[in-house]
Amino acid sequence: MFLAIKELKHSKLRFLLIGFITVLIAWLVFILAGLGNGLSNLSAATFKNMDADYVVFEEGSRNSMSRSILSESMIDQLKEQADVKDAAGMGATMTTVINDTDVDEVKVDAAIIGITPGSFLEPKVIEGRQLDANNPLEVIANDSLKDQGYKIGDTLKIEGSLEELKIVGFVTNETYNHIPSIFTTLDKWRAVQYAAPGSNKGIEDPVNAIMLQGENINAENLSKSFDNTDIVTKAAAIQGLPGYKEESGTITLMLAFLLAISAFVLGVFFYVLTLQKSNQFGILKAIGASNRFLGRSIVSQVFVLSLTSIIIGILLTYGTALILPEGMPFMLDVRLVVIYSLLLLVISTLGSLISVRRITKIDPLLAIGRVE
Amino acid sequence: MTILEFKNVSKIYQQGENEVHALKNVSLSVDKGEFIAVIGPSGSGKSTFLSIAGALLHATEGDVILNGINLKDVKPKELSKLRLKEIGFILQTSNLVPYLNVLEQLLVVKKMAGKVTKADKEYAKELLQSLGLEKKMKKYPEHLSGGERQRTAIARAFMNDPSIILADEPTASLDSRRAHEVVQLIAKETKTRNKAAIMVTHDERMLSYCDRVFRMEDGVLKPDESFTKGKSQPVLV
Repeated sequence: MFLAIKELKHSKLRFLLIGFITVLIAWLVFILAGLGNGLSNLSAATFKNMDADYVVFEEGSRNSMSRSILSESMIDQLKEQADVKDAAGMGATMTTVINDTDVDEVKVDAAIIGITPGSFLEPKVIEGRQLDANNPLEVIANDSLKDQGYKIGDTLKIEGSLEELKIVGFVTNETYNHIPSIFTTLDKWRAVQYAAPGSNKGIEDPVNAIMLQGENINAENLSKSFDNTDIVTKAAAIQGLPGYKEESGTITLMLAFLLAISAFVLGVFFYVLTLQKSNQFGILKAIGASNRFLGRSIVSQVFVLSLTSIIIGILLTYGTALILPEGMPFMLDVRLVVIYSLLLLVISTLGSLISVRRITKIDPLLAIGRVE
Repeated sequence: MTILEFKNVSKIYQQGENEVHALKNVSLSVDKGEFIAVIGPSGSGKSTFLSIAGALLHATEGDVILNGINLKDVKPKELSKLRLKEIGFILQTSNLVPYLNVLEQLLVVKKMAGKVTKADKEYAKELLQSLGLEKKMKKYPEHLSGGERQRTAIARAFMNDPSIILADEPTASLDSRRAHEVVQLIAKETKTRNKAAIMVTHDERMLSYCDRVFRMEDGVLKPDESFTKGKSQPVLV
């Protein structure tokens, strides 16, 4: 540590340049992580927010809400099962809504989410009031609709349907498939989704999926005792959302490359520095420095440099988040920052190990018989 | 009291098909308080001799006994510890760590062994003072003259309180006045601190400070008969 800090202080410019590159890499990692997280949130927030552990789909729907259709009547039976604490059905439909109150009649893409009012699937409103089971014409909507001029009390028309719905409350961070969610009763949702006669395949009270609460549920056994069902964890169900896997896969791949590159860049920088200092290390070894002493010095140097750079990178990232345009799906929570910081730190320290390996190979004999 | 003893030491390098005999049957013993010089043309085996004495190279044959320890018996991993404890190296100029100031150059030796105590700091200051560097303690090597750098190196060599001081061409790249000054200081510190010291040099002007002189030729070490102590007049500094 002694040598490491002294050298950092003495060769400021050199380490400033290396630190600068590390800052840029850290910055990029955090921004990409934030965007990736924001994007995946946009596509699945409503799903992720639901306080459920398992999801029941129709057999063969391959964990996709849009391919699955089940009867709501199953819920009572499900609730009776051991380990199942609660169950509630839901449905989702992509559509377009028109603000009927507004003179301009702004059209907005929205996901109509059908739920049972009062069930654990209903999100808490941040404004207005919750859904009312006795008043099926009321809806609660994601607050991003406010940006389009929607207000509490506005009436909505769903395209292709004549019914008028009224916004009674706003929820926040509720998006599905990248568009804002509008929550309504299951009945109203069915009216939109299965408007065409026969489109419900003759299933009574259809829902897309049934969400289950209960951490100890044995999905395999449960799905055997219910005909025509597939039961998966919520995490697996999220993966089944259209485009979700592909999207997060792309981002993850980019992040993985970035982390690998950062390890490589830092590793190579310090390796070159170590090569340059071979003679110096030889002399220190002749005087009596052990490989451990010198190795520790390199590792702690990389550690201090990476840590400082990562902290600056974090500050820059939050600075950037402030000036990002409103619609940009940027979402960076503390957990994510900590995870990627640790990952960067570990990776860069690992990169310094090739320098340590080099040091162990330096012969202290370099110090003797060398007249400059 | 004998500090360093070479008993019929030979060193053979394998160069392809050929064997190079860098040292041939070298025997020598150095006592406490003794300052000896080894001179000889380049390629004569001086550096090999110093490297073996400094536990940087193993002898092919023979025994090297340093302060009662036969270097043959020391495990490779323990060698750096042995050097740290028993040997003080004075190397050519510019062999200081560029990013440490004069005082830190000395303290880093203690760091290698563990912690720097207050007593270590005092000792380092005392050493620097006796070498006339008390005003340069906070200076970095780039701001020191060649002589000052070499004096720092001398102080560093004494810092770990070693049994023996090994100096490798300490006057290389110094002008005559500074060279005398440096060798004189090595001689002085060796005497006052009662250490053994070996200086390898090709600079014959410096021999008058030494107690004994050996000449190395083609790997054979012989006492230099022509040498008597104090024959050539040292330049006053």
